[in-house]
Parts: sequence; structure tokens; C-alpha cells
Amino acid sequence: MRIKRHSTVLITIAAAVLLTTSGCSGGLLGGGESEGESAGPIKLAMVIPISGSSAPTGKYMENGAQLAINEINEDGGILDGRELELVVGDEACDPQQGVASANKAVSAGAVVSVGGYCSGATLPQLPIFEKAGIPMIIPAANSQDLVNQKLKNVFMINGTGKQQSTAALDFIKKQGFTTVALVDDNTSYSKDINVETAKQIEEDGSATVALSTSVTAGESDYSAVVRDIMNANPELVYWTGYYQEGGLIINQLKKAGFAGQIMVADGSVDPSLSEIAGAGAEGVYATMTQTPDTIEGAEDWIANYEEEFGSAPGPYSTQSYDAVRLAAEAIEQAGSTDGDKIIDALEAIDGFTMFSGPLKFTPEHTLSSGGFVILKIQDGTFVLEDDLS
Amino acid sequence: MTENVDTTLAPKRVRPPSNWLSRLFESKQLGWIALALAVAIPFINATPYVLNVLTTAAIFVLLASGLNIVVGYCGLLDLGYIAFMAVGAYTAGIVSKAFELPLLFTVPVVLVMTILAGLIIGAPTLRLRSDYLAIVTLGFGEITRITANNLAITGGPSGIFGIPGILKIGDFDFQQPAVFYFVTVFVVAGMVLAAARLGKSRLGRAWRFVREDEDAAEAMGIHTYKVKLLAYIFGAIWGGIGGVLFAGHFSAVAPQSFIFLQSALVLMAVVLGGMGNTRGVVLGALVISLLPELLRDLAEYRYLAFGILLVIVMVFRPQGFWPARGYEPERVPTGDKEPAVAGGTK
Amino acid sequence: MMQLIWDGLFVGSFYALIALGYSMVYGIIKLLNFAHGDLYMLGAFIAFAVLSSLGGIPASLSIGALLVVLLLSMLLTGTAGVLIERFAYRPLRGAPRLAVLITAVGVSFSLEYGVAALAGPNPKAFPIRLEGEVFNLIGARVSLPQIVLMIIAGLLMIGLNSYIHNTSTGRAMRSIALDRNASLLMGINVNSVIARTFFIGSALAGAAGVMAGAYYGKIDFLMGFIIGLKAFTAAVIGGIGNIKGAMLGGLVLGFVEAFGAQWFGGQWRDVFAFAVLILFLTLRPTGILGERVTERV
Repeated sequence: MRIKRHSTVLITIAAAVLLTTSGCSGGLLGGGESEGESAGPIKLAMVIPISGSSAPTGKYMENGAQLAINEINEDGGILDGRELELVVGDEACDPQQGVASANKAVSAGAVVSVGGYCSGATLPQLPIFEKAGIPMIIPAANSQDLVNQKLKNVFMINGTGKQQSTAALDFIKKQGFTTVALVDDNTSYSKDINVETAKQIEEDGSATVALSTSVTAGESDYSAVVRDIMNANPELVYWTGYYQEGGLIINQLKKAGFAGQIMVADGSVDPSLSEIAGAGAEGVYATMTQTPDTIEGAEDWIANYEEEFGSAPGPYSTQSYDAVRLAAEAIEQAGSTDGDKIIDALEAIDGFTMFSGPLKFTPEHTLSSGGFVILKIQDGTFVLEDDLS
Repeated sequence: MTENVDTTLAPKRVRPPSNWLSRLFESKQLGWIALALAVAIPFINATPYVLNVLTTAAIFVLLASGLNIVVGYCGLLDLGYIAFMAVGAYTAGIVSKAFELPLLFTVPVVLVMTILAGLIIGAPTLRLRSDYLAIVTLGFGEITRITANNLAITGGPSGIFGIPGILKIGDFDFQQPAVFYFVTVFVVAGMVLAAARLGKSRLGRAWRFVREDEDAAEAMGIHTYKVKLLAYIFGAIWGGIGGVLFAGHFSAVAPQSFIFLQSALVLMAVVLGGMGNTRGVVLGALVISLLPELLRDLAEYRYLAFGILLVIVMVFRPQGFWPARGYEPERVPTGDKEPAVAGGTK
Repeated sequence: MMQLIWDGLFVGSFYALIALGYSMVYGIIKLLNFAHGDLYMLGAFIAFAVLSSLGGIPASLSIGALLVVLLLSMLLTGTAGVLIERFAYRPLRGAPRLAVLITAVGVSFSLEYGVAALAGPNPKAFPIRLEGEVFNLIGARVSLPQIVLMIIAGLLMIGLNSYIHNTSTGRAMRSIALDRNASLLMGINVNSVIARTFFIGSALAGAAGVMAGAYYGKIDFLMGFIIGLKAFTAAVIGGIGNIKGAMLGGLVLGFVEAFGAQWFGGQWRDVFAFAVLILFLTLRPTGILGERVTERV
């Protein structure tokens, strides 16, 4: 017994060592960078949530990116016939897993990162890709903290928290709401929009913030915040968190007889929102970048997507698709897979066609306009309400 | 009792090592062999991925050896151990960012803060019964995380990012992944050795006495409250140092890294490896932190597997995977605190 | 103000239902069943599975269907509790507390991630929705479903109380709580009584899970973790091992939390609840109603 057990232990260790060292690309003394290869497929890293509660969105993103890769490869690839390949890693909305997956992608020889959904898990990945000299095109994560670090290699093709807040304010002014309650779920992304919206509303002065508060994610009973909202009695409640809690809060607000309007931010734009919220979700507004459903002329694209993956595209499918196309374009322009050259190429891009419109990055490496629109839930699905133009 | 034997359920073997494998595992050189192996790996493979995984694993080993002091030596179930790492990591991050100091110089502050945290959590709760203590520590763990999430000084939900490196002398930056890995390995090796020595010291014997029979220990003149508090404080120090390494390694600290799941994982490493047995705990920590990397596809099922394993180990092998060897004569179990009933004893 | 009291009362009755199981098991075999909150989750998921397999249920039948599903789910959750006791806890009944506690953590993990593996990690929308009139009751908004749920919870608790005080099994439970060996000598089948205790406690938690699912409309595999901690807090506040104490503790905790959230803000609610737990444990570990000498050497 004992011997067997010990051998098992030994084998485990041996296997661990072997597995971690196999596929090695050289130790400390070996040198030899895996980057800058001039043949073989060009790898794009995509660190997205594959497990955890945001996993469905991760799948939409992966499919969107894969669709672009398939199209580019069918057209003969880039840089004289080299194919693109997607290296997918899981972040599970957890910073530690994000870091592990980012490192794995760097080791796998990725030249551009086209992932990033949860801001909290994306933030600690920035220094890793920066050190490795890998440009990041972030399709979804949009916390202002990502911009504030002013890293040269970070490009965001989703609107930022600030831009989303501006869109919210535009809509508030357009509809003539005078009192607004802001509720976040105490995550990095959500709090960012809450704080930013409160700031912009106050600067603007046409409406007042009746309440700005946070709830704890993952609970069932939100009677405390419902009470606060009923007491403040605002004309609009703006929920800036994710859909699970959003659905519950909408449901509980409606049950309590809340008569005002409700608006949610892009993290809550998910088919499950109205499932959880029930009938109360009808007429809820959302600030969101365009989804395939709401973009005119995207029917062909949606058909392709459905043919490829057997299901309809969802949130951030288009952004991920565009991220891959943008990466391919930048590599082609740079004429190499060298990180610095790709970054220069990305900065130089002007008028590249994307779902959100022609692209030119601001000096902060964000979109000049967030492309946010207002959606509204009708019969359980989000439809375009106002394009804010 | 020896340093190894956990509970009254553990079968106590008094045989000397009988074959080369057992001799290897019991040998005094084992620690050196493991250290040599840890140092050698980067010379074979030094991709960022491997270095990241190994550094994370080394930090996890440190945590497990710290929790082993509390749970393994002293028998106090701590379900919120990760809070000490949070205190260490946040203190290091805040201080080093505020004063633009290399992380190394934050260690004294971190020590003070973690000892304080150990006192704050330990002092009111250590008079409680063991099962109450478990829940209270869990509560403290959650309080720590939620507080970090709500306060402005800890960066709220985004946490602290852009933490300076551990040390920079001239052009030589200790923050380079390979160098940082070696720093981590040597710190961890030193701390693990210290924990093992601590277990064999006079204080270590007192801890085990308290674990086996608190009332008898009290009767024999051991100040059990003080002894338990010391176990807590030592555990806190180990966690705090782990926090400094964590802050250095990830250059960012966020509340999401200190959820209950993390405390539970460290506990699993200690329990599966063999409570009280430093070597077993190190092995347990390595298995728990490396296994998911090797079996990425099964990531969904790993917590399920860990949960079932915990039950199986407790029911069939309470001494953990690493069979602890007793060199002292077997002691007749002195009767449990709860009288067993028919069907309860097998 | 009245709203605050009503909200606290409503949440508190959920805590109380779960705290009962905690308290019963603890009172009788001194086992802190860490996995108890996960039985609440299991109950909700069993009901979810049953309802989904039935397909659509017309809204007019939803209360009746809910009651049937509630009973079925209680039965299955209770059985799960008995199985857990048999295979995870009974073999360790003489073992040190540390070993049993760690086992309980293991059971908790197995339940959570077992359900996650079977049902998927995403939150599920509960198929039945309790909708109903909202009316004003001395200054508080009260809805019909809330009243129905509180009546169900109240009936379950009253039933349990009379079961423990008026039946022979209840007497056996109380006797085991006092002295297990003596009960054994008096001819009580200790194992079967303990199994029954687990069944009742788990069934109550399962009932609470189904009710929460139907009322809030969302269930997920981690929903039992925090509420399990809260229920434990409630049991401690009332006096652990004391049935009436568990009910009282649940309601008190509901109030305390509602007021805490009001004063400090919603994001501090859990901190406040745990702080109350720690205060109680250090200052009055026997709780409000507890008077038994709990530590035996």
C-alpha cells in the first residue's frame, strides 16, 4: 500500500514537471523568443469568460471572433497567406484567472489580444501584455480605469464608461427626466458608470441625482434598495450592474409598485434579464452599443453567424468580430507581427469600417464616439428605441 | 505525538522506513531536493506562462504552510484565512504606491498590520468553541473582503493596480518574472522551513497538546489562550508575507481574489496533504494549485472533485494523502469529547 | 418605517425556516451542518427541475402547482439530507470536531458544484412566478404572495414545534439532545432519530428554497452560501439548539439587517450581519433564549 501510494505521488510530480516543461520554448539559458516567427499561423489571444456567470457572453464573443477569422482565412489570410488562429483563455471574471490566461496566451506566442469582457479581470492583464509588447484591442470591457492607466498598447473599441454615462445623460435630457436614482452592484465596471453618470448629471444641471447607491451582487432580496428608491421616488432608475441582479431589482421594484421608468447599462443587456424580471421588464430602457439585431443591414452577417454556429449572435459578437478584423488590418498595415509596429498601425488607422461606424482612435486609444444607443424591451427582447443622433 | 499525526482516527505506524521510496520521502534531504527542483525548472522552461504558474503555486505553498500552523498544529479551523493575505497585499500595495517605495520596504508595515489583524480576529474569538470559531473566521473573511470592496483607500471594486516592483537596484530589476520567481521560491522555502521548525519547538508541542486535549493542556499549566493566539499571529504573518508576494506578482490587488473559495482551497491543500505534516501540506498545495493548470478542460468539475475528496479523505483517511509516520509509541485514544454511540463507532 | 419592519419580518421568516434545521441538528448531535444552506439551494433546484419537466403551467394553477412541488421538493431535499448524514457525517460521529467540520465544508462544495455541473453555472429563471395584489397595511406595502409565503412558513414552524413537543419521536430527539448514551440505554434508536432530524431540517430548508425561487424568480447554485451563514447567525442570536430561539433569531436578524442597511447603506448589510454574529458569540454565546450549559467536557 505505502509503496504504491508513494509511487503515485512520485508519478504525479513527474507528470507535473513533464507536462509543464513539455512544449517548451527554451529555458533561461536557452533564450530564443517565440515572437517574431515569420511563418505559420498568426495567433490572436482572446481572454474571455468561459466559465462563471458570464460564460454565455464569452461564447458570443468567441463565435464572433471565430467568424472573422474564418472569413479572413478563406480570403487567403494576411501577410502573404499566413492564417489567423484564435488562442482562447478563460478569465471567469476573476483577476487571478485572467492573469494566468493572459500569461498562457503570451507564452503561446500570441501577437495581438482581442479579448477582455469583465473589467475587473481585464485590468491586471494590462501590464502582462504591455511587458510582452502585445497590443490589446479590447472589444467589451469598458471601465474608465482601463483608460486611466494610459498604456500605449491598450485600444478600446467598446464605448467607455464615460461615454456610456454621456449617452445616459443625453437620453435623460431628451426625455425630460428631472430626478434620477443610480444603483450599481459594487463591481469595478458598474460603480464606474454610476459615479461618472452622477458627475455628469450634476455638471449638466438639468436633472438631479435623487439617490446614488450600491448593492451586493449575488443576493436575492433587494428590499433595502427598493425601499430607498421608493422613498427617493425618482422618475428614472438607472441600474449599472449585470443582468442577474438587474432582473431581481426590476422585479422587486415593480412588485413594490414603482411607477417611474427603469434603465439598465450594457452589462444587463442579456436575454435572461426579462426572464428573471418577468413581466416587469417590459418597457425597460438600456444604454448599449449596437447589437446585430439593431444594426441596419446586418441581416447577412447574422445569417452567416447562424449558419456557422447554429445560434443567433448576442451581445459583443459584433465587437469581437470587429476586433479580429481590426487586428488583421493593423498587422497587414504594419507588415509584420512586431508589437510596436502594430501599435503604430492601429494609431494610424482612419476610417476603418466597423459596426460602430468608421474607426479612428482618440489619443486615449478609445472610440471618438461611444456609439451608444438606447434600447427598449418589447415583448421580452431588446429593440432599438433611440439612436441618440 | 509526532509532528505528523493528526487525529485520534489516524492509524499510527511505528515502523522504520522500509524501502528506498519511503526513505526518500522521510529523508532529511527531501526539502533540499524539492528546492533544487524548484530552482532548476526555469532553466528548462522559462515562458511567462510557466513562470506565472510556478510563482502562483509557490505563493500558494506559503499560504498552506501558514494555515497549517493554525489548523494543522493547533487544531483551530480557520475558514477565512485568505483575509490575512488580503491585509498583507492591500497594505503592501497601498503603502508602496503612496510612498513610491519598492514592495520590499513595506514588509515591516505589513508585519505590523497582519499581527494587528491576527490580534483583532483572534482575541475575541479564541475563547469560542471550535465550530463557532470556524464560522466567525468565515464571517471575518467576508467582512474583510466586503470592506476592501467598499472603501476608497483600497480602490473599491477595481482594487489597486500599478503596484511598484519588489526592488530595483540600479538597472537590475527584481521584478523580472524569472528573478521574481527565484525571490519567491527562496522566501517561500525559508518560511516553510521556519514553519516546520516552529512545529518542532516548545511552542509547537504546546500547540499539539492544545489540539489533542485543550483541558488537559490547561491543567498541565499551558496558557491555552495565549498559545492559540500565538498560532493565530504566526498564521497571520505567513499570510501577510504571502500577500506581499501576491501584490508583487500580480502588480494588482482586487477584492475578487479574496473570496471564500480561496480560503477553502488553502484549507483543502492543508487537509488533503495531511494536517500538521509540513511535507504533506507542501505537496497538497502543489497538487491543488497545479492540477487545474494540467487539467484545464476539467476546470468546471474541479471544485466538485475537491468537495468529494474532502469528504472521502475525512471519512477514510483523516491523516491526508501523505501518510504521517509516528515515531512515538502509539497512544490509546483517550476518549472523545463526545461519547460515541452504537453505530457511531465502527 | 413600517415598510422597514415588514421587509425585515419577511426576510426574517426565510432565515428562520433555514435556521430551524441548523439549530435542530446542532441541538441534537452538536454538528454544525455547514452544508445546510446548500440544501436550501438544492430544494430550489429540485423544484426547478420538476417544473421544467412538466412544461408550462397556467398561471391560474400556479399556487396549487407550487404547493405540490413544494411538498415533493421537501421530500427529496429531506432524503438528500438523510443520505448526507448517512454517508458523510455518521462515519465520523466519534471523531474530533475539526474532522466533522471539514467534512461539512466538503459536503457543501460537493452540493454547490454538483448542481453547477448538472444544471450549468448560469442563474436560472424560476418557471413559476408568484404575482399578486399589492395593498397597503398600516403604512407598509404588502403583497399577497408575501402573505401566502409567510403563512406557509408559519405553519411549517408551528407544525415542527408541536412535532417536537407532542410526539414520541420529538421526545426522543429532546432526550438525545440531553444525553445521547442514556437515550441509547433507554431503548431509543438513536440513528433513526438522528436521520429523522436531518430529514426534517433539510426538508424545511428545501421548502424555503422553493419559496425563495417562486418569490424572487431567480435561482443559482451559490444562492445557499450567504443565506446559510445568515441562518447560522440567526440560530446563534436566538440560542443555538433552541427551536423557538431559531424562529426568534431569524426575525431579529431580519430586522437588524433591514435597519443596518438603512443606516449604513446596502453594501454594508452583510458586514453588519456578521458583526452582529461576532458580537453575540463573544458576549452572549448562548443567544437570547439559550440557557443550556453547552460545553461538556
